[in-house]
Amino acid sequence: MGTAGYLRCVAMFRLQGSKVLAVDMTGDAVKAKNGSMVAYDGQMAFKKMSGGGEGLRGMVTRRLTGEQMTVMEVKGHGTCWFADRASEINLVNLQGDKLYVESSNLLATDAGLRTGTSFTGMRGASQGNGLFTTTVEGHGQAAIMSDGPAVVLRVSSQYPLTVDPGAYVAHQGNLRQSFQSGVTFRTLMGEGGGEAFQIRFEGDGLVYVQPSERNTIAGDV
Amino acid sequence: MSPYGTPGGFGTPAGPTVFDPATLPCDDNVNAYTFCVELKGSQWFLQKGKMIAYYGSMEFNGVGHGRLDRLVRTSFHSPLHASDWVVAEGSGKMLLADRAFDVNSYDLEDGNLTIRSGNLLAFQPTLALKQSIVPGFLTLIGTGKFVAASNGPVVFMEPPIRVDPQALVGWADCPSPCHHYDHGYMTGVMGGLRALTGLGGASGEEHQFEFVGAGTVLLQSTETLLAEQATGAVPSGAGVPGAGGTHTSPSQTAGTQRLPGQLGDLQRRFGL
Repeated sequence: MGTAGYLRCVAMFRLQGSKVLAVDMTGDAVKAKNGSMVAYDGQMAFKKMSGGGEGLRGMVTRRLTGEQMTVMEVKGHGTCWFADRASEINLVNLQGDKLYVESSNLLATDAGLRTGTSFTGMRGASQGNGLFTTTVEGHGQAAIMSDGPAVVLRVSSQYPLTVDPGAYVAHQGNLRQSFQSGVTFRTLMGEGGGEAFQIRFEGDGLVYVQPSERNTIAGDV
Repeated sequence: MSPYGTPGGFGTPAGPTVFDPATLPCDDNVNAYTFCVELKGSQWFLQKGKMIAYYGSMEFNGVGHGRLDRLVRTSFHSPLHASDWVVAEGSGKMLLADRAFDVNSYDLEDGNLTIRSGNLLAFQPTLALKQSIVPGFLTLIGTGKFVAASNGPVVFMEPPIRVDPQALVGWADCPSPCHHYDHGYMTGVMGGLRALTGLGGASGEEHQFEFVGAGTVLLQSTETLLAEQATGAVPSGAGVPGAGGTHTSPSQTAGTQRLPGQLGDLQRRFGL
């Protein structure tokens, strides 16, 4: 499955080390975080895309939801290298399914992928990332960033997964997420379990977690 | 079959390894920065907030939780920093990580190991955790597994050895730890001035820790320390090192002398 997608998108993503993304292009394009290019070889053109290249409606949505994303389109022949503040980079293959990722963790996507915004509800709030997240959809490759190499965990019907909001990076596939709060009177007394807020994933898909926790409201509770 | 069914991703060589409860290691490292613990109705002590994800059903309770009283009595002997620790119990697999530092597990067999407080992440309740006489360090005694973080991989050295204070992670089996100073910097007026002011060239390595005796010394491969965890104040009394609240973490210095049995400041519990 999905081979048609691969034949169409010829931009090949590969990792050079774990912190540099190399993309081989033959006249096609990728969308990347603004300013993340570190080197290129061949002929490249860089074009800033306002509002994430999602048109006027996307631009307004991003402004309203606070999921701002400054993106450039890189097009040309040759190899282009991307990196951002020595973050670890993880490659994601999409075959018609949807990737949910914070805009700040998204490094590059194949130009053939559609990006958009989606409502996350309480999960976003507990992470301190706002109520909305970025979605990437279609056939092709994307590169996401994490603090430390991400561990990819599979969720299936018999194996639901619970994740700390501070360590969550991204997820893909057909997943339902529910927000769990274990706040009790003991938490208020300062004797909580340290994991008062959790996100539970059920369904069928993959979840990316990083070996480090962002500072969240739930931090030490 | 789901599209996420095959381990190793989507058949591309660049695809990441995908883990599920069957393929996750059992009480071992997933990668250099993540450790997987399997719980089968058993319990583990862990530092607050170091769990990043789990499969199965688990409960996390502060060690102040009444039901855990017996466990705490047998394997947790530094009540004054109890609020930084939780007990995980249940069944399933749990991933632990700490600020993307290297994590490693160590097995103790009827042994003892002293470790810098900020480096210890989790331990089995078959081990007993105690405050070390050396301020800022904790000692684990007994048989079992524990998980520790370090900035860069850990190297094991045999005493006699002198080590840089910032590179020291801990030591096992009681070699005797003491301070060592390079005498050229300590003798004479000029030497004293040089040590105090750094004028005339101080190498920054005039002071070391010296270990002699049988045992093992654990070093990390950088001189960047992990943030120190409060180990709690010790009861004040004559002859008790670090007593009277002289050894305190920055979050504790603001407070006044701590009462015995006091579990922690409210501000610290809420991470403020």
